Amino acid sequence: MATLGRLDWYDIARTTNWTPKYVQEDELFPPEMSGSMGLPLSAWETYDEPYKQTYPEYVKVQREKDAGAYSVKAALERSKMFENADPGWLSVMKAHYGAIARAEYSASTAEARMVRFGKAPGMRNMATLGMMDEIRHGQIQLYFPHEHCSKDRQFDWAHKAYDTNEWGAIAARHMFDDMMTTRSAVGVALMLTFAFETGFTNMQFLGLAADAAEAGDWTFSNLISSIQTDESRHAQIGGPLVSLLVANGKKAEAQKMVDIAIWRAWKLFSVLTGPIMDYYTPLEHRKQSFKEFMQEWIVTQFERALIDLGLDKPWYWDQFMAEIDTQHHGMHLGVWFWRPTVWWNPAAGVTPEEREWLEEKYPGWNATWGKCWDVITDNLLAGKRELSYPETLPVVCNMCQLPINTTPGPAWKVRDHALDYKGRTYHFCSDGCQWCFEQEPERYAGHLSLIDRFLAGMIQPMNLGGGLQYMGLAPGEIGDDAHNYAWVEKVRAVREKAKAA
Amino acid sequence: MSEVEVLKPLKTWSHLAKNRRKPSEYEIVSANLLYNTRDPNAPYELDPDMSMNRWYKKYRDGGPFQHDDWNAFRDPDELVYRTYNMVQDGQETYVFGLFDQFNEREHDKALEPTWGGTLARLYTPGRYLFHTLQMASAYVQQMSPASTITNCAAFQAADSLRWMSHAAYRAKELSLTFPDKGFGTGERTYWENDPAWQGFRELMEKVLIAWDWGEAFVALNLVAKPAVEEAVLRKLGQSARHNGDTLLGMLTDAQLLDADRHRRWATALVKMALGKAGNAEAIKGWITKWEPLADKAIDAFCAALSDVPNAAADAKAATRAFRRTLGF
Ligand SMILES: [Fe+2]
Ligand SMILES: [Fe+2]
Repeated sequence: MATLGRLDWYDIARTTNWTPKYVQEDELFPPEMSGSMGLPLSAWETYDEPYKQTYPEYVKVQREKDAGAYSVKAALERSKMFENADPGWLSVMKAHYGAIARAEYSASTAEARMVRFGKAPGMRNMATLGMMDEIRHGQIQLYFPHEHCSKDRQFDWAHKAYDTNEWGAIAARHMFDDMMTTRSAVGVALMLTFAFETGFTNMQFLGLAADAAEAGDWTFSNLISSIQTDESRHAQIGGPLVSLLVANGKKAEAQKMVDIAIWRAWKLFSVLTGPIMDYYTPLEHRKQSFKEFMQEWIVTQFERALIDLGLDKPWYWDQFMAEIDTQHHGMHLGVWFWRPTVWWNPAAGVTPEEREWLEEKYPGWNATWGKCWDVITDNLLAGKRELSYPETLPVVCNMCQLPINTTPGPAWKVRDHALDYKGRTYHFCSDGCQWCFEQEPERYAGHLSLIDRFLAGMIQPMNLGGGLQYMGLAPGEIGDDAHNYAWVEKVRAVREKAKAA
Repeated sequence: MSEVEVLKPLKTWSHLAKNRRKPSEYEIVSANLLYNTRDPNAPYELDPDMSMNRWYKKYRDGGPFQHDDWNAFRDPDELVYRTYNMVQDGQETYVFGLFDQFNEREHDKALEPTWGGTLARLYTPGRYLFHTLQMASAYVQQMSPASTITNCAAFQAADSLRWMSHAAYRAKELSLTFPDKGFGTGERTYWENDPAWQGFRELMEKVLIAWDWGEAFVALNLVAKPAVEEAVLRKLGQSARHNGDTLLGMLTDAQLLDADRHRRWATALVKMALGKAGNAEAIKGWITKWEPLADKAIDAFCAALSDVPNAAADAKAATRAFRRTLGF
């Protein structure tokens, strides 16, 4: 070979820091945009990204990845996957694309923040590739659902969701804007790449890919595993930064940002990924429960990564461990009950066999969440569907923007976490959400939750209809039960059989 | 709800359905993707006055470069991520094929040692310059008010990384033939001290802190990049050919293909912006402000290219010829 190997010249390509002369260093890298914590340029130059890739390797590998993903899609275009899929699975795709595609695109802006304002040259180069990756993830996750637009109006929301005030879209924007687009280069590296992408995207992309493969949706399975191969490269931007900060006496600062990001990501996943995995995915295609995926990817793997890099488990870890058993059940109940307010059709997922599975995976489910579903089921069996619809909007948290809920039953302990700050009272769902607010109230204080807007008269008329209009949801796209209540008949059959016996 | 219309499925996204023509892949995956332009009071879904929201309101929304519908912008090349990689993988295969063939023929060994010294002084330190283009393009990327603009800026940042990578590669390779010229180690010193580079260094350090997005775009794409491309790519490439360095001449030609694409999108954006009153004056003002620094940079760099007659004058004329095509 007459060309050099990558490692022969890689280090030269990341030797690009210079001493500015015609402007001040703090002008070139404003501390608020760089997040540099006063560390000198020489400290940043010790940054060493573990996943090394050059530009020519990048364009080659990425071209091949796209060729793979697009050709699988093309080959399966006539496979009638859409027509034959369980409606619960279509809801998985709708929820996923709407919540994820444009957030990924927005992540390219956050990566660009690191390209421009990162003080570590290796970070600037890897983030350039990361910025490109996120454009890929935005574009490919719009291209794939687009073909379904003509069959189902809810697929329009793969693009539309982020343009609306739909409550889930508000929650997703609030969370992603807090952990990526409004952060400094260092903030993005810690919160987006390290905390979110090392921990949580594995869950969404590998966990869901496993379920999709089980469900026979090869196009989707192949797509999201291909995306994850990019994530696993640019997610490694954050790791060496953690080590660098710990070595330079900035552990507390790093820990705080990581803790905020994990908590915030957890809440969003409890409403998005939890219901998808444990209720919408048809029972026979569930690879593992949401809790098992969480334990594998977050508790075991990510916790180890934290410790290895010199950080501690977040202070709320016990609370978090308790919540992975419970939180998403309440979120699911809320989403199903407020189903006209989402852009997909939630699958109830509570036929007798499914309840058996839930009880096995989450002992005590029947005695708690099951009781609420009993009431809903009884109403539906009695033909009183109207009682299963909401009339107004749920109370949401001023941090995660999600309905405040906790496990029902004897241990019921909804506790309002209220906080007065500069003459306004804020309500939180949890210690974690309140703590995030208290770390930097000025980031959040002026934001109005959906309920704050409702109470301020910004949503008219002040009823569910006005709420739906405000959220951009009209008949034809508003959600309803995924299986058109067919599951209620399964319950009836089982109950009648039991009666007869 | 009986009187209410029930929405029917559409053939494409609702925001494109109004256009009454079949959208291209480019439009489906590129148009209207930013959500930080939906609420002028709070670009991001947090406190409207938190620091990043203030940054966007001041530097993106508050400047003189304005348009009622930035989302109408279309990249004339209609590049999407997928096609960008196809194009650039092909280009990189070509460039690395050149590296391979010229290495096989012991191209570097045939170069005069004095030219080796020139490369160490005037070519490989360019990686610092190309890297500033990478950083500045990433700023335009994050501040642009429409995703179709954002994408062009992102690809431009990646192309700048490409040019920077070529310079790093060649630094290493040349160090094997000319171990005493400081290849791979001396570039920073040249970049920070050699008079040939100080004009570009000053220009780019200052462009990098042009925070208003309109000014950042004009200073970078209409003034600084054309200066870099005409002097450091085209004129240095000519000088290379005069000195038996066919490889560098072919390399800069290949890079100029990227530069041509950057000028195409910049041209389209300026054309669209000129449809709105006030933008012409803003652009003109910025060009007037930045042109002297760019001219000075060209003068300093081209003064070192003693074997290219009229290098500085030609390069400056070429940057003006480009701006004239835009009406400036
Ligand atoms: Fe991504
Ligand atoms: Fe919360």
